[in-house]
Formats: sequence, structure tokens, C-alpha cells
Amino acid sequence: MQPQLDISNLSKSFGGLQALKGIDLSFQKGELVGLIGPNGSGKTTLLNIIGGYYKASGGAVTLEGHKTDGLAPSTLARLGIGRSFQVTKVFKRLTVLENMLVGALADWRLSRSSARDKAHGVLEKLKLTRLADSPASSLSGGQAKLLEFGRIMMLDPKIVLLDEPFGGVHPELKRFMYEKIVEWNEAGATIILISHDMGSIFGLCRRVVTLSYGDIIADGDPETVRNDPAVLEAYLGDHHAA
Amino acid sequence: MTLFHKVLLGFVGLAAMLPLIGVPQYWLYTLTIGLYYAMLASSWSLLVGYVGRISFAQAAMSGLGAYVSVLTGMYLDLPVIPSLLLGVAAAGVLGLFIGWLTLRLHGAYLGLTTIAFGEILRITVTAEHQLTQGSRGLQVRPLIEGAGPATYYYIFLAAAVASVLLMLLLLRSRIGLFFQAIREDEDGTASLGVNVTLWKSLAFGCSTAFAGLAGGLYAHFVQLITPSMMSMQEMGYVLAMAVIGGFSNVVYAAFGGVLLQILLEALRELGEWRLAVFGIIAILMLRFAPNGVFGWLENLLKRKG
Repeated sequence: MQPQLDISNLSKSFGGLQALKGIDLSFQKGELVGLIGPNGSGKTTLLNIIGGYYKASGGAVTLEGHKTDGLAPSTLARLGIGRSFQVTKVFKRLTVLENMLVGALADWRLSRSSARDKAHGVLEKLKLTRLADSPASSLSGGQAKLLEFGRIMMLDPKIVLLDEPFGGVHPELKRFMYEKIVEWNEAGATIILISHDMGSIFGLCRRVVTLSYGDIIADGDPETVRNDPAVLEAYLGDHHAA
Repeated sequence: MTLFHKVLLGFVGLAAMLPLIGVPQYWLYTLTIGLYYAMLASSWSLLVGYVGRISFAQAAMSGLGAYVSVLTGMYLDLPVIPSLLLGVAAAGVLGLFIGWLTLRLHGAYLGLTTIAFGEILRITVTAEHQLTQGSRGLQVRPLIEGAGPATYYYIFLAAAVASVLLMLLLLRSRIGLFFQAIREDEDGTASLGVNVTLWKSLAFGCSTAFAGLAGGLYAHFVQLITPSMMSMQEMGYVLAMAVIGGFSNVVYAAFGGVLLQILLEALRELGEWRLAVFGIIAILMLRFAPNGVFGWLENLLKRKG
């Protein structure tokens, strides 16, 4: 079966630093994949290339059979790739509702009233309705993460790239976010999740890919990856792995 | 409608009454120039306040609109309105180009690039003596033959109100929402499917087109244009007007333009010191009231209301 997203021999260099060293990865529709690795292993670089923020130094990314090289992030978003950022990028001086409307209104076929109705529906799901008219600057860190979720939901994405969505989030809110991710995935979206929170990764994902120094060192089900000596070595050092 | 909006409408209503209640021609002339600055300051605010893109080429764009309008009238023998529209189009297209060229520039780099563009335009106009008469200036035909100060005043009042209303219409549309999202975070906006390249360039083009309109009207009103209307000193006026009025809102900036022009005339005895005073006020406003005089006034009336 043709993968929904295919990454082939992908490399990325920043000057003398090789952040990705010719990796091959593919994702089937509806997968929920965790992407882990120590700091500097290339996780966010990979997401930035998939999302169109970085140009790859070599290799290719193929979305549903079409190469995405050179496409702008906005084009990729319209093709169905939604993403959140490690540091939230909510529009602080806009209201929560306006934040939600930006992505929906980028689709000129959608009227303002339809976009508004859709936004209210998503805000209700995320329990943010009472904050709809508040400026996004008044949100807590966790609520801002939820708002980013909401903005992505407005795009009806096929693939969702989540970069550290649980960083600094209260445990109760984190559980709520788990539920939303699972619901999203069950509705058919492919989810690629970066997190340093191993509990979240191993609890949520059915497949875990581990990167270290720009290479894939493990790719498989959570149990196999958890016990992989290369993964233990990458995280804890040689003597622990032994 | 809030109390503040009613006060603003009251000001516009009062402005419409002025020629009828016998305001001296000198002050009508001053207010007409104030309305020119209102258009210019609000066009600058459209770009800086809503899209977060700095530009110091607004006065030069006004000059471009003026020179294109005058020169096409002179050399192509076009009537005033089509030549004015050509001036608007020229300023808009050049703005679009600058917007596209400076897509990846921010802050000081963007500011310096726009200064360079502005200066290139001013120097070109000064150097092309055969075409523009250089620093001696060009005699310009009037907008309407035989029209008096009151007629010009009403034309400028209508143009300023129409420009600000058009800007507000644009800002309340989905395009205005894209502009503000870009100001907040470009990557975040792009991640939602908004074509940041297109809207950033277009914002520059819209802003400079309004400046071109202001410049064209100004040229046919004062009937003599020189490259000094494109100078950095003129840009300084526009900047002070927008900052003191409140550059986060096109309406505040427009009122700032009129207010400062009135003050420029009222404080004429201070000579060049007026500019230093305005500079100090602008710096203090940025520090203590970043929404400007009218933003501060709106907050005050909101609290009282």
C-alpha cells in the first residue's frame, strides 16, 4: 500500500552540522507515531522539513504520491498538513475566536458565518467557549496549547505534526489533550507526535521512531523500542545500556 | 456605537460645518493640509500598526503619486482624474514590489531598506531636472479650475473619510484578519494555510497606494511640487503624527495628522523647535501611551462609560 507520507533519503545540514543524515521513513494513513530522541537529534528539523519551513539538503518528502519539495508552509497546510509548535504561536493580540478563524478563512470557499459556526463547535469540544472573545494573551500556557490544537482542527488536516504539545501543561489538561489526540486519530488523521514526556509517547502511540544525531536508531512498537539497547544508549549512555 | 465613536463622528460633523460657520481661509488651508497628512499617517498606520511592517518610504510614495499624476497630465495630456489614478497605481505597484523584495527583512533591516528606496526616489526626481524641474519644483494645474479653499477643503475631507473607511472595510474583512495574524506571528499564520508572501506584499501595495492618492491630491491642491515632499523630514512629520495620534489604529493616526498640522501652525512662533518638541512628545507617547492620544482618550471614555 502506498504510504500517505513518504520520506526518502532525507538530509539537512546547517553549515557543518548535519542535522539529518539521509533518513527513510514512511507513514500510513491513520497512524499515531511518536518521534523521540535526545535534544539535537533532528526531530524538530524533520517536522520543519515536512511542514515546509526548512528546505531539505537532499532527499524527498512525498505526500500521497506528490513530492512536496519547495512548497510553502501555507500550501502544505492547505494540502492537509497541520502543525503545532514547541513554543506556541498563538496570535496574542487577537481574540481566541479570531485565532480560530484565520485558518478557516484562508479557504475562500468558506463563508464567514460558516467559519464562525465551525469555530464555535471546535471551541466547545475543547471547552474554550467561555474564552472565545478573550484576547489570546490572557490564556494560560495549557490553554494556549489547546487553542493551537483548535486552530489545527479548523483545517481538517490529514496529517498532524505535534511538537511538544504537553510541555508545561497541567496533568489534568494533559489527560484532556490525550483524549482529543485519540479522537482526532480515530477520525482518520495521521498524527506524528514529538514529546520528551515518555509516559505520553508510550501511552498514546502505536509506533515509536527514535532519532539520534540525525539517524533513525529504532522504529517499531513501543515495547520493542523501549527495550532497544541503542535507544537506551542514546538516552542514558553506554554503561546503562550494557 | 461607543461614546468614543460618537465623539469622533462629532468631530467629523464639526469639520464638515467649518466652512459654513466662517472659519478663515487661512485655517481652511491649514486643515486641508492636515487632511492630506491624515491620509498619509493612516496609510502608514495600516502597514505598521496592522501588519507589523515598518516603512520609512511613505512620504516618498506620496511624492511618487504626486509626480506621476502631474507628469502624466503634462506629457500625456491626461485629464486630472485619470492622471491621479495613474499616480495611485504607480505608488501601489512600487509598494507591492518593495513588499515582495523585503519579504524576509524585519526590524532595522527593513527600515533601512525602505529609507534607501525613499531616498532613491527623491534623488531620482531631483536629478531628472529636464523632466521634473528638480528642486525648483513643478507648477501643477489645479484639481478644479477656479475652486476656492472651501471646495478643496471638502474634497480633502471627503477623500480622507473615504480612505479611512476603505481601510476599515479592508481591515474588517478576512484580509484584515490575515494582516493582523501576520503581525503576530508569520510562521504561525503560514501554518494555517495563509499565503504570507502574498498578503505581506499586498499590505505594502495598499498602504503605498493610499499614500499615492494623498500625494496626487496634495499636488493639485498646492499647485507646486518639489522633491522636498519626499524628504526624510516629511517622513518624520508623518511618523510623529501617526505615533502621537496612535498608530495601532488608522482612525487615531488620521486624527493625529490633523491635530499635529493644527499644532504646527499654532506653534509657528517656535520655528524649527516645533519639530524637536514633536519628536520628544512622540518618544514620550511610545513610552507611556503606545496607543497614542486618541487610544488614551478612547480608554478614558470607555472607563467613564
